Amino acid sequence: MVIQEGMSIQRKLEILSDAAKFDVACTSSGVDRKGNGSGIGNSLACGICHTFSADGRCISLLKILFTNECIFDCKYCINRSSNDVVRASFTPREVCELTMEFYRRNYIEGLFLSSGIMVSPNHTMELIFDALRMLRDEYHFNGYIHCKAIPGTDPVLVEAIGWYTDRMSVNLELPTASSLKRLAPHKSRKNILKPMRQIQLRRESNNEYLGIYDGRRHVSNQITMTNDKSSEITNDNRNSDRDLLLRVNNTTNIVPYNKAPIGKSRYVPAGQSTQMIIGATDESDYHIMSVSETLYDNFDLKRVFYSAFVNVNDDSNLPSTVSGPPLLREHRLYQADWLLRFYGFKIAELLNEKNPNFNVLLDPKCDWALRHLDEFPVEVNKADYYTLLRVPGIGVNSARRITTARKSAILDFKDLKAMGIVLKRAVYFITCNGRMMYPIKLDEDFITRELLAVKDRLPFGIEKDITYKQLSLFDDVSFQPDDRLMLQEISHA
Amino acid sequence: MNNLKIFLCDNSIDGIFTAIYQAWSSGYGHSNIKIEEQCEKNSYSNIELFSEYIIVETNFDQAVKVSNSIKTKISLEAYEMTCRVALSDYQGKGDLIYRFLILGFHIGKNIVSHLSNEVVNRVFKLNRYVSGEAHHLLGFIRFSEQENKILTSIIHPKNNVLSLVTPHFADRLPNERFVIFDGNRNVCSLHLPEKSWIIIEIPSMNLNDYDILIDDEYESLWKTFFDNIAIKERINPKLQRNNLPIRFRKDMTEFIPERINSLI
Ligand code: SF4
Repeated sequence: MVIQEGMSIQRKLEILSDAAKFDVACTSSGVDRKGNGSGIGNSLACGICHTFSADGRCISLLKILFTNECIFDCKYCINRSSNDVVRASFTPREVCELTMEFYRRNYIEGLFLSSGIMVSPNHTMELIFDALRMLRDEYHFNGYIHCKAIPGTDPVLVEAIGWYTDRMSVNLELPTASSLKRLAPHKSRKNILKPMRQIQLRRESNNEYLGIYDGRRHVSNQITMTNDKSSEITNDNRNSDRDLLLRVNNTTNIVPYNKAPIGKSRYVPAGQSTQMIIGATDESDYHIMSVSETLYDNFDLKRVFYSAFVNVNDDSNLPSTVSGPPLLREHRLYQADWLLRFYGFKIAELLNEKNPNFNVLLDPKCDWALRHLDEFPVEVNKADYYTLLRVPGIGVNSARRITTARKSAILDFKDLKAMGIVLKRAVYFITCNGRMMYPIKLDEDFITRELLAVKDRLPFGIEKDITYKQLSLFDDVSFQPDDRLMLQEISHA
Repeated sequence: MNNLKIFLCDNSIDGIFTAIYQAWSSGYGHSNIKIEEQCEKNSYSNIELFSEYIIVETNFDQAVKVSNSIKTKISLEAYEMTCRVALSDYQGKGDLIYRFLILGFHIGKNIVSHLSNEVVNRVFKLNRYVSGEAHHLLGFIRFSEQENKILTSIIHPKNNVLSLVTPHFADRLPNERFVIFDGNRNVCSLHLPEKSWIIIEIPSMNLNDYDILIDDEYESLWKTFFDNIAIKERINPKLQRNNLPIRFRKDMTEFIPERINSLI
């Protein structure tokens, strides 16, 4: 391992930001917190993008590794112990100084601290804990903090750190336990799910204690279909997890640096996220999305991120990405993820064993609609919100505008146009006052051809190229500013 | 037609509200009235013949009366929407607000849902436009630290958003002294610890003088971070441009080539 002594902060930042770039979640969303009048910082639930890097992705947090001196040897990672790369580590104080000074200048919304594993998971997480505690208690930093939990960390540390962060994440890395074993031999599915469950239960009890209803996704009380694809994850036992939590709570009192949950403190208020690498292993889209669905439904995750695999180590045992990472596939997964979280879709409606991958040419919603022409056309003046959302081309923004506007008028196609609703796709699937815009018969081949002619709104440069950005939740199209809900989200169509 | 009365007012919320107050109480009838805010684009260049111009002196009491009626007779939401329109760079916003209020006083708080109405729709769109730019700037504003620890920032927004963005920073940075200059309007907002922020006009200051005072080591650290966080395999300038329009970049540290360091 190459470790340089007396490295400048500039050089450290260069190494440790470069090493952190594949972590996707750069959002600062999910928590509203006013300034406290004395320290520094506040937080907006909608999130704020501060800039966009050359790859077009939003930057909102100072995203760095605490150290890249890693004892693990994950095949897909540039920092794996078997690689000969320059190693560097921050001190807790350096992390604080950078965060504070960047924040004052309005470069960032806060800190996203991840890390390689130096000495042991516990050793690393203790240093991270020192940094966060210093940042909150000594520097009075009240901005956003996202912290990675390293699998295998003592639950006591996970408990302690959660009080200092807004979001925590444990990366699932790969969709199946067997892939994980193959590519990340030092990690195990169990070690990943354990802290995830711990944080989930802790949040639940904290919210209960504070009487907060933490608006989960709109999911109704439907029973989640547990399909065999996700059983690997659901099989664990919540009761034994609760025991663990109890044990943790009893032991934390003897941890000297524990900050007891006083007053109105909130535990990981912005919830958890996770990330999967796409295309390093051969799981299908169906498999991947089933795992995501389970994570949303059973682990109350706020976000699952997908990261198109880049073979940074030119490892011949892994797929080559010389012709570019699988960005279109990643894009389709994000679109489907969006359908799960905001549109009320279940993954079983979109994919199945026989048809396990998304259509390359059509976005998942169009694809679904074409296979369900019997449910169309729907009447714009009557259809409920979720039915409207199922119409290709009508997104959350448009559906809300329609349900608002029809309170005061009976809507016609020209009204929809005036309201800025894009009809290019929707026109095949809706009626206004019982009439379609053009007399079209609902013939699958015809509509498919027409839909294919409408250019798929792939983000620029994906021909295949895509990325994430802050996007108004209300908008089905691309970015349009909206002050009410500028969710930091990925682009979708 | 040739009886049109044009109320010419200041390009400010108070100016427009004053004009609306006077127009309303003039008794000329809504269809014979036009409100016109004064701005560079329309001053004297397109004076309409056969129209009578009435110069409106801004009167705060009258303006307050209008804002109070909007709040009580329509809604707070409608009031806020009106203000955002007044801050926009839309030519003809004064008259648009007037038309919007005529409808609003008639219909009441439900006015905001009449999206298929042309006037309401325009107001709605302008709101998104103004709020959108303000929201962008919450992220894109860059402060530079001056020798005396004062944080300074220059922006060139299309709309007059200073009063929309400053509260955010006052809440976020309560212990900082900061100034945000609007280089397009020669106004700035100023915040000092434990005081409420204010907006001041600065008629004759060359804002560009400020650049040369900067010698801030964190600027180069920020650039280092900015360059290294991009994934080379995914470089995508089009997407970057779509998300971060070029017009903002001239005021953003990471896009400004190394600054000329201080003359001192
Ligand atoms: S634990 Fe694995 S993924 Fe994380 S830094 Fe170490 S080698 Fe990379």
